[in-house]
Amino acid sequence: MSFSGDTIAALATPVGTSAIAVVRASGPQTADLVRAIFGTTPPPRLAQHAAYRDRNGALVDDVLFTFFAGPNSFTGEDTVEISCHGNPFIAQKILGDLFARGGRAAEAGEFSKRAFLNGRMDLSQTEAVMDLIHARSERALAAANLQLRGALGRQMESLISQLVNVLAKIEAYIDFPDEDLPLEGRQAVQDQIAQLLIGTSRLLATNQYGELLREGIKTVILGEPNAGKSSLLNRLVGRDRALVSPEPGTTRDYLEDRVVLGGHWLRLIDTAGLNQAASLLEKRGVDKTFEQAAGADLFLWVIDSTGPLPLLPPSLAARMTPRNTVAVFNKIDLPAAPRFDRLQAFPFVNISALQGVGLEALQAAVIKLAESFHVETGDELVAINARHAHALEQAKACLVTAGQKIASGESSELVASDLRVALDAFGQISGKIDNEKILDQLFAQFCIGK
Amino acid sequence: MIYKTPFDVIVCGAGHAGVEACLAAARMGSSTLLLTGNIDTIAQMSCNPAIGGQAKGQMVREIDALGGEMAINTDVTGIQFRLLNESKGPAVQSPRAQCDKKAYQFRLKHTLELQPNLQLFQATVTGLIYKDGKVVGCRTSLDIDFMGQTVVITTGTFLRGLMHVGQNKNEGGRLGDFSAKTLSGSLLEAGIELQRLKTGTPPRILGRSINFAGLQEQKGDLEPTFFAFHDTRDPVDPFHVEQTGERRIGWKPGSEQVSCWMTHTTPESARIVRDNLHQSAMYSGEIAGVGPRYCPSIEDKFVRFADKPRHLLYLEPEGRNTNEYYINGLSTSLPFDVQLDLVHSIPGLEQVQLLRPAYAVEYDFAPPTQMFPSLESRKVENLFLAGQINGTSGYEEAAAQGLVAGVNAALKARGAPPLIIKRHEAYIGVLIDDLVTKGTTEPYRMFTSRAEHRLLFNHGSAELRLFEHANNLKLLSDSRLGRISSKIDRIAYWENCLETHKTAGGPWADAIRRDKTAAVLPAAFMAEPKEAREEVLYRVTYRGYLDRERRQVEKLKDVERIKIPSSLDYLAIPGLRRESALKLHQIRPQNLGQAGRISGVNPSDISILMVLIASALRAEKP
Ligand SMILES: Cc1cc2nc3c(=O)[nH]c(=O)nc-3n(C[C@H](O)[C@H](O)[C@H](O)COP(=O)(O)OP(=O)(O)OC[C@H]3O[C@@H](n4cnc5c(N)ncnc54)[C@H](O)[C@@H]3O)c2cc1C
Ligand SMILES: Nc1nc2c(ncn2[C@@H]2O[C@H](COP(=O)(O)OP(=O)(O)OP(=O)(O)O)[C@@H](O)[C@H]2O)c(=O)[nH]1
Ligand SMILES: [Mg+2]
Repeated sequence: MSFSGDTIAALATPVGTSAIAVVRASGPQTADLVRAIFGTTPPPRLAQHAAYRDRNGALVDDVLFTFFAGPNSFTGEDTVEISCHGNPFIAQKILGDLFARGGRAAEAGEFSKRAFLNGRMDLSQTEAVMDLIHARSERALAAANLQLRGALGRQMESLISQLVNVLAKIEAYIDFPDEDLPLEGRQAVQDQIAQLLIGTSRLLATNQYGELLREGIKTVILGEPNAGKSSLLNRLVGRDRALVSPEPGTTRDYLEDRVVLGGHWLRLIDTAGLNQAASLLEKRGVDKTFEQAAGADLFLWVIDSTGPLPLLPPSLAARMTPRNTVAVFNKIDLPAAPRFDRLQAFPFVNISALQGVGLEALQAAVIKLAESFHVETGDELVAINARHAHALEQAKACLVTAGQKIASGESSELVASDLRVALDAFGQISGKIDNEKILDQLFAQFCIGK
Repeated sequence: MIYKTPFDVIVCGAGHAGVEACLAAARMGSSTLLLTGNIDTIAQMSCNPAIGGQAKGQMVREIDALGGEMAINTDVTGIQFRLLNESKGPAVQSPRAQCDKKAYQFRLKHTLELQPNLQLFQATVTGLIYKDGKVVGCRTSLDIDFMGQTVVITTGTFLRGLMHVGQNKNEGGRLGDFSAKTLSGSLLEAGIELQRLKTGTPPRILGRSINFAGLQEQKGDLEPTFFAFHDTRDPVDPFHVEQTGERRIGWKPGSEQVSCWMTHTTPESARIVRDNLHQSAMYSGEIAGVGPRYCPSIEDKFVRFADKPRHLLYLEPEGRNTNEYYINGLSTSLPFDVQLDLVHSIPGLEQVQLLRPAYAVEYDFAPPTQMFPSLESRKVENLFLAGQINGTSGYEEAAAQGLVAGVNAALKARGAPPLIIKRHEAYIGVLIDDLVTKGTTEPYRMFTSRAEHRLLFNHGSAELRLFEHANNLKLLSDSRLGRISSKIDRIAYWENCLETHKTAGGPWADAIRRDKTAAVLPAAFMAEPKEAREEVLYRVTYRGYLDRERRQVEKLKDVERIKIPSSLDYLAIPGLRRESALKLHQIRPQNLGQAGRISGVNPSDISILMVLIASALRAEKP
């Protein structure tokens, strides 16, 4: 069995759970892709450090990539593995770029399938591979269904029914020329295509909006000097990211790191302490804290529980609400520390950053806010992934041509051809759309038949 | 008694499917027998006297490209020719012709009579003779049994045919004809499942009682488009009997065209229909079969599209030597007295005399998913089915299947692999693939929109697209094959030349794409025959679109090539979803491409099958 196969690409690591994500591509165009992206085809099997630039030249990430020449690869074809930062947003950007350069989204289990078909696996593994394809596709199907049950599904449904409607109209005039149909309104068709274009573009735009989300929920850690902000950051990211010292004013400039909490991608920002009587240098640090706070989605207000409850500067107090802030009472390990249970204004937790106590409660509180943050952005928010975006781009391009063809009075068989490709592209998102659907619509809409 | 000589191929039923089937088999050199209930109704048009139209017209040209008879028979007995869809673009333009109904029949009958290797015999087939799960012959009402290596059933609407005019019922496959009552039982006995469908036909009226004064005339085209490829056909084509010197009926194609006339229903017509709905066979629940959505009865039109003030009707002459007219658009199963009132409510028909009533007919069909793509039954070896018995409707659909079934019956009789036309090659390919892969719940008719690659199916290219099949199986004379082959070369040459040769303003092709009518083209090109020129221009103008279609076709070829072993037990495959396994088990696709088109079977199921098949192949030859 031989395959003229195309080049497939997919995420090789589960979404958003590890520090590193791996994107894998396999197929005959792999070497060309590598050359186009990185400028060279390196010796096989040697990891290379490089900057990944998308096809418009924009830097996406610093990555490690390894090229495997077929047949000595997992799939038996030329393959490349690109390791980027675990931020799903980055991995999706790379995937999207690979699709735009001619790759196609791999189907469930397709890498293993190719490995088997190319003789890279033993006959005894036949059933194992079949099981794997089955399991992967069930999982993919479940995920897709979940997605389609939400706003994405509703929007796709509406786009598809609009498109089927236009197509039925055009097809009616093609397939039933001698019928007594109402005057063929090309203008109406053109308007409908324009509507479809708007809908498709709007959905595509949620890609950018979704990217924002995926880039991380901006979470600013703030509080008085020495409250333990940097210690908390280090606890949350699990390593010594920030300097910690008993001296107030240790953190001068803000610093940033990322973490996944309960499936939410957080951009954590540690800031300089809010010191009223600061030196000039410290003052500039505090200004930056205010700047960061201005664009924050969530706040972690760290409070030294051994001291009196500090006052919030008015500009911050105005922004912080129970829906975006957690008050974090720190240093509860100290004997002088009372347990706080009074604060009415915000949800709060008691922790010791030093000893790692109370962190689960803190995480739970943050996740709760992160979730409500999603809901707050509205039902209309549809985060689409690279595969969706690619399909929508294709559909959009065809809708544009179809619109032009209609406007310049070209024959409807060409318009229909473009619209069909657009419909197939929609089908890549919500499942194949049967031809019968167009006929059903056609017979429902028009009185056909002599 | 048993007839003394056995045949290679026996065809039962001389409708549009049957005549193509027996001609194809005989022309391939098989000794062929055609049995039909009445030799005087060979190739009778049960419904309207017209051939072609949307998608069907292209299919008739494909039939010509494969050596069939329908195209040439239409050309020489046609009385009005029109090219439909002039404005919608070249790919969906379809020729349509009004035929002289009797001339059409008589010419085909004569053609059959003159065909070497073909024997005609009038007898009603009452049952099939089986042996070891195969069909070996058929029984007839005359108590003569005929033995054959293969049998093709093309009995149309005749299996337990039941006609309705209001509450009045008569047995028969069509008005004035018999009903084949026992053959169904014989099919059931062999395990072939049968279901019911229905279709209808309008009244026929007397021309001299029509008042044409207020009616709009519809003339034929000044420059008629024909169905047969006259540019590559031999004047004395050995396959087409002209050399025998026999005088067959017919005339110079396109000569002396006649007109059709247009009229419409009135509010009074609507009232008559609505008031009498309860008496309609279809609306009073008398009919169990499912009718076609694209051919609704007038009852349906008034009920489902109540806000449409009137419905167009066409009056079509049934021939040159008859005064009978067909009312296209007025199919109904209302009782005769209501029909009479209804017809009289129509402008121009106020005084009209009815010659034959409208009626609906119900009949058995064998759901086509029970066949291989060769049109051979999966239940009974050597048994082929074609035409309306497979759930289709229309002369062209029937003829196309008949041709393929005839070729395949002949091939099977000599042990050769079957002719399978792919979806991307022709409407015939789409038709058969749809039937055997998806089946049908209403009488299936071809539409251009059923073909995903219809831009590749412009009617003029039929002969080029199907050349390989025709050439491999020698379905055409050597001289015609030679002419098509050089036509293909000329077209390729010019396509390349126009695309690459630079003139002052760039390649000619660019000028054509900018404005076909203004482009000044080389004199040598303009000297090519019109058919070749038009094809070249078509390909050049649509280059981008055609390339896209070809790329899509290319992508599907891999899976199309992977054959599925016929012994595969889908129900025992681990990992295959139950729903898919059941579907696959029922349809039993031949290759992975076909498997993927079954509704409900998804890509991962195909992947699993692919792995399984590859594994079996590797186990065979390590
Ligand atoms: C009332 C009516 C209305 C129709 N309306 C439409 C329509 O609106 N649109 C449309 O597209 N098509 C319509 N058709 C369908 C069209 O006529 C058929 O699709 C086409 O003729 C089918 O061709 P066929 O070769 O399969 O069968 P037929 O043309 O039906 O031919 C069957 C042949 O088999 C012979 N035969 C049958 N049983 C036996 C037997 N047991 N032994 C020997 N010979 C036998 C018959 O004598 C006949 O010659 C209609 C048909 C009828 C009858
Ligand atoms: N006992 C105790 N000490 C803590 C705790 N958290 C932080 N500290 C100590 O408090 C001091 C200040 O900690 P940092 O994390 O540097 O505080 P900060 O808020 O970042 O301070 P600035 O950057 O100076 O504003 C350090 O000595 C920490 O060890 C805690 O939970 N318990
Ligand atoms: Mg600090």
